Amino acid sequence: MTQADSEHVYRGQNYEELAPLFVEFAELSGDDRRHAELRDKLVTAHLPIAQHIARRFSNRGESQEDLVQVATLGLINAVDRFDPNRGVDFLSYAVPTIMGEVRRHFRDTGWTVRVPRRLQERHLSISSTISTLSQDLGRAPTPSEIAGHLGISRDEVHQGLEAGNAYRSSSLDELLSDTDEIPLGDAIGSSDTELDEVENREAIRPLLRELGERERRILILRFFKSMTQTQIAEQIGISQMHVSRLLARTLSWLRERLEVEVPPEPVTDT
Amino acid sequence: MSASHPDRNRASLEHGAPSGEPSEAVEDSRVVEVRVAAEATQLPVMRAVVGDLAMRADFDVDTIADLRLAVDEACSSLVRIAAERSPLVGRFRTEDDRLDFTAEVTSDDPSGPRKNTFSWRVLGALTDSVASSVREPENSGDGHVVRIELSKGRMVHG
Repeated sequence: MTQADSEHVYRGQNYEELAPLFVEFAELSGDDRRHAELRDKLVTAHLPIAQHIARRFSNRGESQEDLVQVATLGLINAVDRFDPNRGVDFLSYAVPTIMGEVRRHFRDTGWTVRVPRRLQERHLSISSTISTLSQDLGRAPTPSEIAGHLGISRDEVHQGLEAGNAYRSSSLDELLSDTDEIPLGDAIGSSDTELDEVENREAIRPLLRELGERERRILILRFFKSMTQTQIAEQIGISQMHVSRLLARTLSWLRERLEVEVPPEPVTDT
Repeated sequence: MSASHPDRNRASLEHGAPSGEPSEAVEDSRVVEVRVAAEATQLPVMRAVVGDLAMRADFDVDTIADLRLAVDEACSSLVRIAAERSPLVGRFRTEDDRLDFTAEVTSDDPSGPRKNTFSWRVLGALTDSVASSVREPENSGDGHVVRIELSKGRMVHG
């Protein structure tokens, strides 16, 4: 499917042509080969809608790939659950379904404690203001600069920043996975050299290898390349608040692991 | 702003500030003192306090985030070497241009935090200055008082 086709579909001009496929799809049983074929076709044809919705939620502290993935999941659910006999067209059904999936992602997987919706939205607008202002100022903004830009009080900025500390954008499993394909280049090599001064480097090295590429890269850029969180955010393409959360989590994970594997020197209490 | 009194701050620590007796440093309105059990579960309190103070002082968001990480790292390494039932005392002092933090525990181990560790490197990268000291116990049987002090300046002046 070409780019031109995608846009054509997204403008809705091809939309009606897909409607008969939904009728056929709804009548097939799940183990029919034609069922899988049609499902693929319907999902692929509507992908631009998922991508469009994902873009609407960008700059809110989640990576674009994550959002597209979540939106695509919403699209697949919409294709599977759509009932063509109800008299509504697929778009009217799919858009709210996909939006719901993305919102649920922010609400349920993003926040470790229950944070009121209003506060979540404030957190998200602060997050994107930080990137805008960082670009303009060439450095991280202060809470009063954020407040001035958004036209809210400093107390409200404080609440929003504080809420960010209750936000978790991915699970611990994701922290340990290698899904981010950010090339490390020579960063790893130089960190190894830097690590020579570190007494517990033999314990640290295997742990660094266990980290996800993105977490390891952020750790190296902050602690071995002396980049600021804002500079790292710009380089990696995520928000400063996200960098901050990932650093906090990575350090805490390293501490826990080091505690298990390199117990402190025995003290004289036994 | 009046000149600071470094000796005062020190004096209050020397006698271990038994609870009930107001510590001298607390008279200084720029100082916030927090005393908790030296346990990992108490660390969010220290993080929250430093985050709040740095926000109120209108430090830039990078400095605020780094201070939270630094206080967390410093307190974690102290908790790790703290004697049983030791308190963790954190003292935060906001100056015009920087925030100073000291944390103390009592420890059975007189050697204090090791400097050539990854953790110490992290602390160095997050702050402008970091140092540790160990004070001998005044009475035999008391633990050694292990302290980490760190300081970080603001990058932006409003």
